[in-house]
This record gives sequence, structure tokens and C-alpha cells, in this order.
Amino acid sequence: MAEYKLMKGNEVIAEAAIRCGCDAYFGYPITPQSEILETLTLRQPWLETGMVVLQAESEVAAINMVYGGAACGKKVMTSSSSPGISLKQEGITYLAGAELPCLVVNVVRGGPGLGTIQPAQSDYFQAVKGGGHGDYKLIVLAPASVQEMNDFVDLGFELSFKYRNPAMILSDGIIGQMMEKVKLSPVKPRWTDEEVIKLNGSWATTGKTADRPRNIATSLELDSARQEQFNHKLQAKYKEIQEKEVRFEKIACDDAEYLFVAYGSSSRICQKAIDLAREKGIKVGLLRPITLFPYPTKAIQEMAEKVKGILAVEMSAGQMVEDVRLAVNGKVKVEHFGRFGGMIPSPNEVVKALEDLIIKG
Amino acid sequence: MAKVKGAIKVDVEKCKGCGLCVVACPSKVIDLAREVNGKGYNYAYMANPDACIGCANCAIVCPDSVIEVYKVKAEMA
Repeated sequence: MAEYKLMKGNEVIAEAAIRCGCDAYFGYPITPQSEILETLTLRQPWLETGMVVLQAESEVAAINMVYGGAACGKKVMTSSSSPGISLKQEGITYLAGAELPCLVVNVVRGGPGLGTIQPAQSDYFQAVKGGGHGDYKLIVLAPASVQEMNDFVDLGFELSFKYRNPAMILSDGIIGQMMEKVKLSPVKPRWTDEEVIKLNGSWATTGKTADRPRNIATSLELDSARQEQFNHKLQAKYKEIQEKEVRFEKIACDDAEYLFVAYGSSSRICQKAIDLAREKGIKVGLLRPITLFPYPTKAIQEMAEKVKGILAVEMSAGQMVEDVRLAVNGKVKVEHFGRFGGMIPSPNEVVKALEDLIIKG
Repeated sequence: MAKVKGAIKVDVEKCKGCGLCVVACPSKVIDLAREVNGKGYNYAYMANPDACIGCANCAIVCPDSVIEVYKVKAEMA
């Protein structure tokens, strides 16, 4: 029988990590994600599954510990909030450059700089467009509920190992702190050493045997021609991800004349705004990107053929709206509405923005 | 005749300052403190303790169960 619990978004990340057979967590406390590390230390999974939980001396140390664990072919993860994720960017681009799988959780808070501890969605560019240096992409999942915080831990590991690419859960201070009912995942045992060699032995540093060359986890290639070849390989991988892994959700889109595009907690606010707008006779739907990379460009293109205008609702000064505009390519009007710096838009504000910016504007 | 007076006790370190109790309180007893807890959140506190009726609406609505409600009998002057 399925196990249901009332849990905080951050707590469920920790629980899901233990249940999906994660080998190690390296982190450093920062509000609003500290409960991930706190829950892991409280649960003591090293007694139960042998999972390593370590509070590193800094965020930089944590991400480099992840690099080491990932190079061994293990399921490793880290988590932080915006300023900490900025510190981790060097490690993340090295992981992408060395094609190592791992899971990074970002419980976003308002910025720039130290900013505030209240929720925001202003790390979209950092997560989706790069953040670190070089032509790399992360697989970015955007949960909109505590249930999805649980589900995306396993999914994130699955995708990151499938494509040997770091995956990120781009959450925010609302979902991280929110208490909701969650159906916990079934317990999966950790990979044994034999399984790690069988699954990841072709690239991981599992111990050289006589029948294969040495596996080296590095992102360094001083021969530019070979580095270009490697970049072509990466780009082909990202193209494959874009073709196969796009995930999105459509809500009330069948008869919609207008469209909200929003991810994460903004999409939850938009769902209430849809109800309010429909009471007023405004037929509006919601397209919620679940994967931010790969972005559901085609789905937005298709919706742009049907609707009169699109409002991108984000808790930022306008980041994802750029990808909506690229997808729509001038076919219909696209505007942005957002509160930021830790403020959260109310459903009424969203409806008013739809009326003012799209319908009247 | 005795009037029932209430009081609340907030587990300051567990409070995340969501403000649901501030809205739920029918007699405007609770507000968020200017000070912050260890995590940096402005925690809930009794800004107007005399008005508390001990209805426990705040404790029921609190998602993290950080509020305890007490009732005391106060003699009418």
C-alpha cells in the first residue's frame, strides 16, 4: 500500500533521496533549503542504506565532492539556494564538461546578491542558459507541488544517468517550505559495487581492468580540434534531450482564448487566477513547462496559433518570457507579469495584469 | 463572572513567517516580529496579548504546528 504523509517540500527531497537509492549527499545550510540537510541528518540514512550525508565546509567544497562521487559512477546530489548555487557554478560546468551525472537542487530565493530569504524565480537564466562558462546545458525540472519535489528526485537521477549530464531541480522558497500531502515513492536499494560497474563501468572510475583502457573523468582537452569534436558530441546530446525529454502540462487550454505560461509556484497561482478569470467570462488556460531545459517550445508554438495573447507569469523581472517570445516568434502578443525580490503575486493581481496588458493593451 | 482569556506560545525556531495565523486570528492578536529567528524568518508573536480569546484558529491553520494555545480564567474586575 502506498504511504502518504504530510511533509514540507524540503523534507520530501531528503526522504525521496533516501528512497531512490542515493549514494551520497553533500551540502551546506542556507535558508530556505536548510531542511534538506536537517532532515537527512535526522533520518540518519547511513545506518539504514549506507548513504553518505556530509555537511561540507562550503558550497564550493560540496559541489566538488559531488564531482568526485559522480566520477565513481555513484548517485550523488547536493542542494542549496540561490547564492549557494552561484558558488557551485564552477563545479557544475566541470561536471557538465566531464559528462558526469548528478542532481542539484536549487530552492530559489530573491536576489541579486544575498537578496532575501523569501521565494523568487529569478534563477531561471542561471539554471537554463548556463550559469557557468562554456556551451553546456543542465536538465532542469521545475516542480509545482510537494508531490513533484518527491517524484523529480528519482526522475532527475534517471535522466542524468541516461544522458550523463547534471540535472537540476529548480524549486523555490514556496514549494520548499510548503506542507502538502505526498505519496512517498517505493524504496529502491542502492546500487551494489557490481551494479555500478555493470551500469557505469564504461565511463566511471570503478577500477581499471585488463580488458579496457583507463577511465578518466576530466573536462580538460588542450587539443582544440578534439575539444571542438567533444562540443559537437555535447550539442548532439542536448539536441537528443530536446527531442525526447520535453515535459509540460496544459490546464484549461481546450477552449482558451488567452494563455498563461508559468512554471513552479507561479503556475499554482495561475491556476487560481484561471478560476477567477473564468468567473468574469475570460477564457484563459495555462501551459506549465515541467522541464525548463528542454523547453516546451513546440507546445507554446501550437498554442500561439489558437490564442489571442500570452501572459508569462514569473516571480522575476522577466526571464522565462524571453523563451516564450522566441517560441511565439511574433505571432501573438506576449507580455510578462511578475513580482520579485521575495514578493509573491496574488491571483487577483495576475487576472488584472491579464486584463491590462493583454486584453486591453 | 469569569472571562476566558487566551495566550499562545510560538516555537520561534520552527516558524517560517508565512503569516497564515496573522490572517486567521479574529481579534488581531498576532503579528510577525521585526526580529528574525535562526533561519532568518520574521516569526509570529503576540503583538496584542490582551485581546487573545484562546480560540485556537491560529494553531489549527499553522502548517508547521508551531503554535500552542493556552486558556486562563481571568476574573472580571
